[in-house]
Amino acid sequence: MSPVLQSRGKKIVVADNLYTVILAVAFFVVLSASVFVAYQCYTQYDTIFKIQ
Amino acid sequence: MSTLTKVLIVLLTIASIFLCGIVVTYVANADNYKQKFDNLSNGYAAAKKNEDNAKTQLNNTIEEKNRNAEKLGEQIASLDGQINKLKSDLANAERDRDDATRKVNSWMTIVKDFSVTVENNDKLVKDALAERDAKENELIKQGKELKGTTAALMDNMAIVRQLQEGSKRLLEEKTELQNKLDLYLRQYGKAIAEPMPVSAAPESVRLTPPTKDIDLNGSITEVDLKTLLAEVSIGAANGVKEGMRFHLTRGDKFICDIVILDVWPEKAVGWLELLQDQPQDQPRVNDRVSTNL
Repeated sequence: MSPVLQSRGKKIVVADNLYTVILAVAFFVVLSASVFVAYQCYTQYDTIFKIQ
Repeated sequence: MSTLTKVLIVLLTIASIFLCGIVVTYVANADNYKQKFDNLSNGYAAAKKNEDNAKTQLNNTIEEKNRNAEKLGEQIASLDGQINKLKSDLANAERDRDDATRKVNSWMTIVKDFSVTVENNDKLVKDALAERDAKENELIKQGKELKGTTAALMDNMAIVRQLQEGSKRLLEEKTELQNKLDLYLRQYGKAIAEPMPVSAAPESVRLTPPTKDIDLNGSITEVDLKTLLAEVSIGAANGVKEGMRFHLTRGDKFICDIVILDVWPEKAVGWLELLQDQPQDQPRVNDRVSTNL
Protein backbone atom coordinates (compact mmCIF):
# COMPACT_ATOMS: atom_id res chain seq x y z
CA MET A 1 0.00 0.00 0.00
CA SER A 2 1.35 3.35 -1.01
CA PRO A 3 0.71 6.60 0.86
CA VAL A 4 -0.81 8.21 -2.28
CA LEU A 5 -3.34 5.56 -2.48
CA GLN A 6 -3.95 5.98 1.16
CA SER A 7 -4.43 9.78 0.70
CA ARG A 8 -6.82 9.17 -2.11
CA GLY A 9 -8.60 6.93 -0.01
CA LYS A 10 -9.12 9.50 2.77
CA LYS A 11 -11.27 12.63 2.26
CA ILE A 12 -9.67 15.83 3.43
CA VAL A 13 -11.86 17.82 5.73
CA VAL A 14 -11.24 21.50 6.29
CA ALA A 15 -12.25 22.99 9.54
CA ASP A 16 -14.78 25.81 9.56
CA ASN A 17 -12.37 28.13 11.27
CA LEU A 18 -10.36 28.23 8.14
CA TYR A 19 -13.12 29.92 6.26
CA THR A 20 -13.49 32.39 9.11
CA VAL A 21 -9.83 33.20 8.80
CA ILE A 22 -10.21 33.59 5.06
CA LEU A 23 -13.12 35.94 5.60
CA ALA A 24 -11.05 37.88 8.13
CA VAL A 25 -8.22 38.16 5.71
CA ALA A 26 -10.58 39.38 3.02
CA PHE A 27 -12.04 41.84 5.44
CA PHE A 28 -8.66 43.22 6.44
CA VAL A 29 -7.59 43.37 2.84
CA VAL A 30 -10.66 45.38 1.91
CA LEU A 31 -10.27 47.51 5.03
CA SER A 32 -6.62 48.25 4.37
CA ALA A 33 -7.37 49.05 0.74
CA SER A 34 -10.11 51.43 1.81
CA VAL A 35 -7.81 53.11 4.35
CA PHE A 36 -5.09 53.41 1.77
CA VAL A 37 -7.45 54.94 -0.76
CA ALA A 38 -8.82 57.32 1.84
CA TYR A 39 -5.30 58.32 2.88
CA GLN A 40 -4.31 58.94 -0.69
CA CYS A 41 -7.41 61.02 -1.34
CA TYR A 42 -6.85 63.08 1.76
CA THR A 43 -3.20 63.68 1.13
CA GLN A 44 -3.68 64.62 -2.52
CA TYR A 45 -6.96 66.46 -2.51
CA ASP A 46 -7.34 67.39 1.19
CA THR A 47 -10.68 65.64 1.31
CA ILE A 48 -12.07 62.09 1.10
CA PHE A 49 -15.43 62.41 -0.55
CA LYS A 50 -15.90 66.04 -1.57
CA ILE A 51 -15.18 67.00 -5.16
CA GLN A 52 -13.75 70.47 -5.49
CA MET B 1 -21.61 25.15 6.68
CA SER B 2 -22.60 24.20 3.26
CA THR B 3 -20.22 23.72 0.41
CA LEU B 4 -21.75 26.52 -1.52
CA THR B 5 -21.11 28.92 1.35
CA LYS B 6 -17.56 27.79 1.51
CA VAL B 7 -17.13 28.27 -2.20
CA LEU B 8 -18.66 31.73 -2.01
CA ILE B 9 -16.37 32.62 0.88
CA VAL B 10 -13.35 31.58 -1.08
CA LEU B 11 -14.52 33.35 -4.22
CA LEU B 12 -15.42 36.47 -2.27
CA THR B 13 -12.02 36.48 -0.64
CA ILE B 14 -10.24 36.03 -3.92
CA ALA B 15 -12.32 38.70 -5.58
CA SER B 16 -11.76 41.06 -2.68
CA ILE B 17 -8.04 40.56 -2.78
CA PHE B 18 -8.01 40.96 -6.55
CA LEU B 19 -10.11 44.10 -6.56
CA CYS B 20 -8.30 45.60 -3.61
CA GLY B 21 -5.03 44.93 -5.32
CA ILE B 22 -6.24 46.58 -8.46
CA VAL B 23 -7.61 49.56 -6.55
CA VAL B 24 -4.47 49.94 -4.49
CA THR B 25 -2.29 49.69 -7.56
CA TYR B 26 -4.40 52.21 -9.40
CA VAL B 27 -4.50 54.65 -6.53
CA ALA B 28 -0.80 54.29 -5.91
CA ASN B 29 -0.02 54.98 -9.53
CA ALA B 30 -2.71 57.61 -10.12
CA ASP B 31 -1.58 61.12 -10.98
CA ASN B 32 -1.94 63.96 -8.46
CA TYR B 33 -4.25 66.10 -10.50
CA LYS B 34 -4.61 68.67 -7.78
CA GLN B 35 -0.86 69.17 -7.75
CA LYS B 36 -0.86 69.31 -11.53
CA PHE B 37 -3.69 71.83 -11.39
CA ASP B 38 -1.82 73.92 -8.90
CA ASN B 39 1.29 73.75 -10.99
CA LEU B 40 -0.58 74.65 -14.11
CA SER B 41 -2.44 77.40 -12.30
CA ASN B 42 0.78 78.80 -10.95
CA GLY B 43 2.31 78.53 -14.38
CA TYR B 44 -0.67 80.32 -15.86
CA ALA B 45 -0.45 83.09 -13.28
CA ALA B 46 3.26 83.41 -13.89
CA ALA B 47 2.65 83.42 -17.62
CA LYS B 48 -0.05 86.08 -17.13
CA LYS B 49 2.27 88.12 -15.02
CA ASN B 50 5.02 87.66 -17.59
CA GLU B 51 2.56 88.74 -20.24
CA ASP B 52 1.75 91.89 -18.27
CA ASN B 53 5.40 92.59 -17.73
CA ALA B 54 6.09 91.92 -21.36
CA LYS B 55 3.28 94.30 -22.34
CA THR B 56 4.64 96.93 -19.95
CA GLN B 57 8.11 96.44 -21.28
CA LEU B 58 6.76 96.55 -24.81
CA ASN B 59 5.01 99.83 -24.09
CA ASN B 60 8.10 101.22 -22.45
CA THR B 61 10.18 100.00 -25.34
CA ILE B 62 7.78 101.58 -27.80
CA GLU B 63 7.84 104.87 -25.90
CA GLU B 64 11.61 104.77 -25.65
CA LYS B 65 11.75 103.92 -29.33
CA ASN B 66 9.59 106.91 -30.10
CA ARG B 67 11.76 109.15 -27.94
CA ASN B 68 14.88 107.74 -29.55
CA ALA B 69 13.32 108.25 -32.94
CA GLU B 70 12.60 111.88 -32.06
CA LYS B 71 16.13 112.33 -30.76
CA LEU B 72 17.57 110.64 -33.81
CA GLY B 73 15.46 112.91 -35.98
CA GLU B 74 16.83 115.94 -34.18
CA GLN B 75 20.34 114.56 -34.45
CA ILE B 76 19.82 113.84 -38.13
CA ALA B 77 18.60 117.41 -38.62
CA SER B 78 21.58 118.82 -36.72
CA LEU B 79 23.92 116.49 -38.61
CA ASP B 80 22.38 117.65 -41.85
CA GLY B 81 23.13 121.21 -40.78
CA GLN B 82 26.66 120.22 -39.87
CA ILE B 83 27.03 118.44 -43.21
CA ASN B 84 25.94 121.57 -45.03
CA LYS B 85 28.30 123.67 -42.92
CA LEU B 86 31.13 121.22 -43.54
CA LYS B 87 30.38 121.31 -47.24
CA SER B 88 30.61 125.08 -47.20
CA ASP B 89 33.81 124.84 -45.13
CA LEU B 90 35.15 122.31 -47.61
CA ALA B 91 34.40 124.66 -50.47
CA ASN B 92 36.13 127.50 -48.60
CA ALA B 93 39.07 125.23 -47.79
CA GLU B 94 39.35 124.24 -51.43
CA ARG B 95 39.35 127.91 -52.43
CA ASP B 96 41.97 128.63 -49.77
CA ARG B 97 43.98 125.67 -51.02
CA ASP B 98 43.83 126.98 -54.55
CA ASP B 99 44.86 130.44 -53.35
CA ALA B 100 47.68 128.92 -51.29
CA THR B 101 48.80 126.90 -54.30
CA ARG B 102 48.91 130.04 -56.41
CA LYS B 103 50.79 131.83 -53.64
CA VAL B 104 53.22 128.94 -53.38
CA ASN B 105 53.85 129.08 -57.09
CA SER B 106 54.37 132.83 -56.97
CA TRP B 107 56.62 132.49 -53.94
CA MET B 108 58.57 129.76 -55.69
CA THR B 109 59.17 132.15 -58.56
CA ILE B 110 60.13 134.91 -56.13
CA VAL B 111 62.44 132.55 -54.27
CA LYS B 112 64.13 131.55 -57.51
CA ASP B 113 64.61 135.19 -58.43
CA PHE B 114 65.81 135.88 -54.92
CA SER B 115 68.28 132.99 -55.15
CA VAL B 116 69.67 134.47 -58.34
CA THR B 117 69.83 137.86 -56.64
CA VAL B 118 71.57 136.33 -53.63
CA GLU B 119 74.13 134.69 -55.90
CA ASN B 120 74.76 138.01 -57.59
CA ASN B 121 75.00 139.69 -54.20
CA ASP B 122 77.45 137.03 -53.07
CA LYS B 123 79.61 137.81 -56.06
CA LEU B 124 79.33 141.51 -55.32
CA VAL B 125 80.16 140.89 -51.67
CA LYS B 126 83.20 138.88 -52.67
CA ASP B 127 84.30 141.64 -55.01
CA ALA B 128 83.60 144.24 -52.32
CA LEU B 129 85.59 142.21 -49.79
CA ALA B 130 88.50 141.95 -52.17
CA GLU B 131 88.28 145.68 -52.83
CA ARG B 132 88.02 146.31 -49.10
CA ASP B 133 91.16 144.24 -48.52
CA ALA B 134 92.94 146.26 -51.18
CA LYS B 135 91.65 149.48 -49.61
CA GLU B 136 92.77 148.28 -46.19
CA ASN B 137 96.22 147.57 -47.52
CA GLU B 138 96.26 150.98 -49.12
CA LEU B 139 94.96 152.50 -45.89
CA ILE B 140 97.73 150.80 -43.96
CA LYS B 141 100.23 152.26 -46.34
CA GLN B 142 98.64 155.66 -46.03
CA GLY B 143 98.62 155.26 -42.26
CA LYS B 144 102.31 154.58 -42.32
CA GLU B 145 102.83 157.60 -44.53
CA LEU B 146 100.63 159.63 -42.20
CA LYS B 147 102.72 158.56 -39.27
CA GLY B 148 105.81 159.72 -41.10
CA THR B 149 104.08 162.97 -42.02
CA THR B 150 102.90 163.41 -38.44
CA ALA B 151 106.42 162.89 -37.17
CA ALA B 152 107.69 165.45 -39.67
CA LEU B 153 104.88 167.79 -38.66
CA MET B 154 105.80 167.39 -35.02
CA ASP B 155 109.37 168.27 -35.90
CA ASN B 156 108.15 171.29 -37.83
CA MET B 157 105.91 172.26 -34.93
CA ALA B 158 108.91 172.16 -32.63
CA ILE B 159 110.79 174.37 -35.06
CA VAL B 160 107.75 176.65 -35.27
CA ARG B 161 107.65 176.99 -31.50
CA GLN B 162 111.31 177.91 -31.49
CA LEU B 163 110.67 180.47 -34.22
CA GLN B 164 107.70 181.86 -32.32
CA GLU B 165 109.78 182.28 -29.20
CA GLY B 166 112.51 184.02 -31.24
CA SER B 167 109.92 186.21 -32.90
CA LYS B 168 108.49 187.27 -29.58
CA ARG B 169 111.91 187.99 -28.26
CA LEU B 170 112.72 190.05 -31.33
CA LEU B 171 109.44 191.93 -31.08
CA GLU B 172 110.20 192.78 -27.49
CA GLU B 173 113.66 193.91 -28.49
CA LYS B 174 112.15 195.90 -31.36
CA THR B 175 109.67 197.60 -29.09
CA GLU B 176 112.36 198.40 -26.64
CA LEU B 177 114.60 199.80 -29.40
CA GLN B 178 111.71 201.84 -30.79
CA ASN B 179 111.04 203.31 -27.39
CA LYS B 180 114.68 204.16 -26.97
CA LEU B 181 114.76 205.63 -30.49
CA ASP B 182 111.61 207.60 -29.81
CA LEU B 183 113.10 209.07 -26.67
CA TYR B 184 116.29 209.82 -28.52
CA LEU B 185 114.56 211.52 -31.48
CA ARG B 186 112.23 213.57 -29.27
CA GLN B 187 115.24 215.27 -27.88
CA TYR B 188 115.77 216.61 -31.39
CA GLY B 189 112.10 217.35 -32.13
CA LYS B 190 111.59 214.46 -34.43
CA ALA B 191 109.30 211.53 -34.38
CA ILE B 192 109.78 208.00 -35.46
CA ALA B 193 108.40 206.99 -38.77
CA GLU B 194 105.82 204.18 -39.18
CA PRO B 195 107.61 201.09 -38.03
CA MET B 196 108.25 198.63 -40.75
CA PRO B 197 108.20 194.94 -39.90
CA VAL B 198 111.64 193.62 -39.69
CA SER B 199 112.15 189.91 -40.15
CA ALA B 200 114.73 188.60 -37.80
CA ALA B 201 113.94 185.08 -38.71
CA PRO B 202 116.07 182.29 -37.39
CA GLU B 203 118.22 180.12 -39.48
CA SER B 204 115.40 178.10 -41.06
CA VAL B 205 113.57 181.25 -42.16
CA ARG B 206 116.70 182.69 -43.66
CA LEU B 207 116.95 179.62 -45.81
CA THR B 208 113.61 180.38 -47.45
CA PRO B 209 113.96 181.57 -50.99
CA PRO B 210 113.24 185.23 -51.57
CA THR B 211 109.91 186.12 -52.96
CA LYS B 212 109.78 186.69 -56.62
CA ASP B 213 107.50 188.98 -58.43
CA ILE B 214 105.14 186.31 -59.54
CA ASP B 215 102.14 188.27 -58.20
CA LEU B 216 100.16 185.51 -56.53
CA ASN B 217 97.04 186.73 -54.81
CA GLY B 218 94.62 184.91 -52.54
CA SER B 219 92.78 185.13 -49.27
CA ILE B 220 92.83 183.65 -45.80
CA THR B 221 90.29 180.81 -45.41
CA GLU B 222 91.13 179.68 -41.88
CA VAL B 223 93.23 181.05 -38.99
CA ASP B 224 94.42 179.39 -35.81
CA LEU B 225 96.15 181.94 -33.59
CA LYS B 226 96.99 179.36 -30.94
CA THR B 227 99.27 177.45 -33.27
CA LEU B 228 99.96 180.53 -35.48
CA LEU B 229 98.89 178.63 -38.55
CA ALA B 230 96.70 179.93 -41.38
CA GLU B 231 95.21 178.44 -44.52
CA VAL B 232 95.24 180.32 -47.84
CA SER B 233 92.84 179.83 -50.76
CA ILE B 234 95.51 179.15 -53.39
CA GLY B 235 97.67 176.07 -53.71
CA ALA B 236 100.06 174.18 -55.93
CA ALA B 237 97.70 174.56 -58.90
CA ASN B 238 98.32 178.32 -58.70
CA GLY B 239 102.07 178.00 -58.34
CA VAL B 240 102.41 178.04 -54.55
CA LYS B 241 105.39 176.11 -53.21
CA GLU B 242 106.71 175.31 -49.78
CA GLY B 243 108.80 178.08 -48.27
CA MET B 244 107.09 180.88 -50.18
CA ARG B 245 106.44 184.05 -48.17
CA PHE B 246 103.15 185.84 -48.52
CA HIS B 247 102.21 189.24 -47.16
CA LEU B 248 98.87 189.46 -45.41
CA THR B 249 97.05 192.82 -45.74
CA ARG B 250 93.62 194.20 -44.88
CA GLY B 251 92.87 197.09 -47.14
CA ASP B 252 96.03 199.18 -47.11
CA LYS B 253 97.16 197.87 -43.73
CA PHE B 254 99.88 195.33 -43.28
CA ILE B 255 98.94 192.55 -40.88
CA CYS B 256 101.69 189.95 -41.00
CA ASP B 257 103.61 187.48 -43.18
CA ILE B 258 102.91 183.87 -43.94
CA VAL B 259 105.61 181.35 -44.71
CA ILE B 260 104.16 178.38 -46.53
CA LEU B 261 104.76 175.06 -44.77
CA ASP B 262 102.56 172.63 -46.68
CA VAL B 263 100.92 172.82 -50.08
CA TRP B 264 97.82 171.06 -51.54
CA PRO B 265 96.49 171.49 -55.07
CA GLU B 266 93.82 173.99 -54.08
CA LYS B 267 95.10 175.32 -50.75
CA ALA B 268 98.18 175.86 -48.64
CA VAL B 269 99.02 176.19 -44.94
CA GLY B 270 101.61 178.58 -43.62
CA TRP B 271 103.22 179.88 -40.50
CA LEU B 272 102.25 183.39 -39.33
CA GLU B 273 105.11 185.77 -38.71
CA LEU B 274 105.51 189.40 -37.73
CA LEU B 275 102.21 189.48 -35.91
CA GLN B 276 101.11 192.82 -34.41
CA ASP B 277 100.29 193.26 -30.74
CA GLN B 278 96.97 195.04 -31.25
CA PRO B 279 93.95 192.74 -31.34
CA GLN B 280 92.45 194.55 -34.33
CA ASP B 281 95.64 193.83 -36.29
CA GLN B 282 95.46 190.09 -35.83
CA PRO B 283 94.88 188.08 -39.03
CA ARG B 284 91.31 187.14 -39.84
CA VAL B 285 89.45 185.14 -42.46
CA ASN B 286 89.12 186.84 -45.87
CA ASP B 287 92.25 188.94 -45.33
CA ARG B 288 94.18 189.32 -48.58
CA VAL B 289 97.45 187.47 -49.13
CA SER B 290 99.91 188.24 -51.92
CA THR B 291 103.51 187.69 -52.78
CA ASN B 292 104.01 191.35 -53.52
CA LEU B 293 102.83 194.36 -51.62
